[in-house]
Amino acid sequence: MRADRLLARSSLSRRAVLSGGAAALALPFVPRAQAAEPINFATWSAAVDQVKAHLAAFTAKNGVDVAYSNSPFAQYRETMITKFTGGAPVDMLWVSDSWLPEFAQAGWLAPIDSFKNLTAYNAGTSDFCNQSMMYDGKQYGLTYYTDYMGFLYNADILAQAGFTKPPESWDEVTSMASAIKAKGLLDYPVVFGMAQESWMIEFISAMVYSHGGRLIDDAGTAVLQDGKSGAVSTLNWLVDAVGKHKILSPGCVTTGELEVLKTASAGKAAFVLLPKYRLRVLNDPAQSSVAGKFRQALMPMGAGGSHSTVGWMRFYGMTPRAVANAERGQNTAKLIEWFGGKADGDYRFQKTVLKDLALGFGVKALYDDAEVRASLGSYGDVDLMAQQQTLAHKKDTIAPWFGEWNDSFGTAWQQAITGKTSVEAALKLSATKWAELKKAG
Amino acid sequence: MSGVIIRRPWAPRLLRTAVLGAASLLLLIYVLAPVAWLLSSSLQQERELTSIPPHWIPDHPTLQNFRAIFATGLGYAQPSANGVDPTSGGFIPSVAANLLPAMGNSFIVAFAVVVLNLLIGVPAAYAIAKIRFRFRNAALYTILATRVIPDIALVVPFFLMVRKLGLLDSLTSLIITYLAVTVPFSVFVLASFFEQLPDDLDRAARVDGCSRLQVLTRVFLPLARPALVAVGLFAFLASWNEFLLALMFTQTAASQTLPIVVAGITSDFTVSFSFLNAAGVLAVVPPVILAVMFERYIVSGLTAGAVKG
Repeated sequence: MRADRLLARSSLSRRAVLSGGAAALALPFVPRAQAAEPINFATWSAAVDQVKAHLAAFTAKNGVDVAYSNSPFAQYRETMITKFTGGAPVDMLWVSDSWLPEFAQAGWLAPIDSFKNLTAYNAGTSDFCNQSMMYDGKQYGLTYYTDYMGFLYNADILAQAGFTKPPESWDEVTSMASAIKAKGLLDYPVVFGMAQESWMIEFISAMVYSHGGRLIDDAGTAVLQDGKSGAVSTLNWLVDAVGKHKILSPGCVTTGELEVLKTASAGKAAFVLLPKYRLRVLNDPAQSSVAGKFRQALMPMGAGGSHSTVGWMRFYGMTPRAVANAERGQNTAKLIEWFGGKADGDYRFQKTVLKDLALGFGVKALYDDAEVRASLGSYGDVDLMAQQQTLAHKKDTIAPWFGEWNDSFGTAWQQAITGKTSVEAALKLSATKWAELKKAG
Repeated sequence: MSGVIIRRPWAPRLLRTAVLGAASLLLLIYVLAPVAWLLSSSLQQERELTSIPPHWIPDHPTLQNFRAIFATGLGYAQPSANGVDPTSGGFIPSVAANLLPAMGNSFIVAFAVVVLNLLIGVPAAYAIAKIRFRFRNAALYTILATRVIPDIALVVPFFLMVRKLGLLDSLTSLIITYLAVTVPFSVFVLASFFEQLPDDLDRAARVDGCSRLQVLTRVFLPLARPALVAVGLFAFLASWNEFLLALMFTQTAASQTLPIVVAGITSDFTVSFSFLNAAGVLAVVPPVILAVMFERYIVSGLTAGAVKG
């Protein structure tokens, strides 16, 4: 009988039953197989709703599926390194400019120079953005969001102290903060975050640039110990602000960017350095007790300096896995453009994250867009924002050894600020460490 | 014969009571203050939460954070593509809607790990404690030795294994890897407990005709309730709180557990301390309920076998 033969052939061993049972148990938890493999897009956990909505529109228009995944920013770099090392499928991802040399050198990112639909956007993008996505002469992505370090002040406190205009220079910051302190308005009018976190290099770079200086020169050599570099006068200003004028708390070395934001929104700061996009939070009545009182000023100038500041970049990168297959590569480039360039003829995603989250953009023309101006204008001076962006420069410390150097650099600056070492010794140590790491490659 | 009652002078007794009372109060404040602040701040508006000095009792208590978590679409930021402007109260992070599903994932994983821990750990511990076989001690120490390896060193090997099995972004990957972490401890605690029970019990049951399985289920398990509870609770808490492996193996809301989603809240541009604390309140509720329910078993279970007679 055919049925008997079938039964005899399908007699099951105990092992087969057990493995079948295990598979059945696991079935509800195992992700379903896709008919065609989607583009694998990895980000950190930010703007999740906005990304999902924009992805849905992309799939509806192009018929290309995208598998979107995210993980917390604080552990994102380590997570991606594990995924790349473990061979997990990743086609497109968010990348911070700080990781670009490391990721590019490791072969985890592919240049996008051959995708002309992407490089076409360079002409209309702020220079520091384009430069922040370049490594070894190649471009590795398109802007997700960008912003710069802003100098923000509480106009109400300044008015109480008799000032009608914000400071133009760091010397004026000192004198105005001293006056505010003398009037008993605030114990520490200046609130800067000098805690060891990813923002520290941006706070310091902004101040150094505005003092007319550099930390690292174009040849990749540390110049921060040079008396003319601007780093010396910056660190001296910070040391004096804490030790001599007492306008900045020694606790700044344990104050992170978020604490600066929360302190400012509690009305306990006259001058802060914060990412420009934080201005919206500071002027939001639901989140800030000083809503409407915070303004942005151009970054104060140091002696011989300018209103320059530092800008940073988070961008869409593409992996070698994506470009290995022509169709996948084209689809990934299309998706990058959908987010980082125009979607349906408009910078839709940039406008969405600006309106929802106040995120900055690299496209210069957007400062003239009516929707954008209305959104930015609800909490700040749009023209001043645009003017400051033209004075933003990329971080000059980005190198494959940046992470390791940044730890000792931060510690050295903290020790100088708290008086445990001299300004000269701290800068010399930072420069020596840079040279050592550069030599080691 | 009349007993002689020796009364100590009242002043030292009063002093002792006062010192003990003060120390207890300090300890209580030390332990409960963070929890009280967590709860209080979860009921405050962001504006009030950041005020200086802080308000231990909210001036304007609000359930907006909990509403955002429990009622999808109420009060948290929506993509503007949906036509909802999030500018008012838009500081509720976009991952708010993922918190309850993440709690569900955490619960499924923790529950499965507890059940499998007991299914694997109990027979293993019984065999090590009561059956004489070659390399018995070596087996126990080998199991324990696996816990000497720090979790971070296991991440890449585990990742490769999980990927090869096609289990990335699935709860199964978490259950399997958490078992590798928790079973050694369970076996150790249970074996210590079983060793305390007299061998005569085992022999008597065997003489009465019980099989090994019957001895285990009818004699030892009823006596081992405190140890089972302690082991189960340990496995649950370890799984509930685990972060590193979940970070690496999960990628989407379908499999992400509570610690990952809570950590993601701080990544967002709209960081809200009050919302973060509301998520923290949710995260501590299940472990606290379990700890209260099984409190009387926990200490006796964990200290079983700690003192040899």
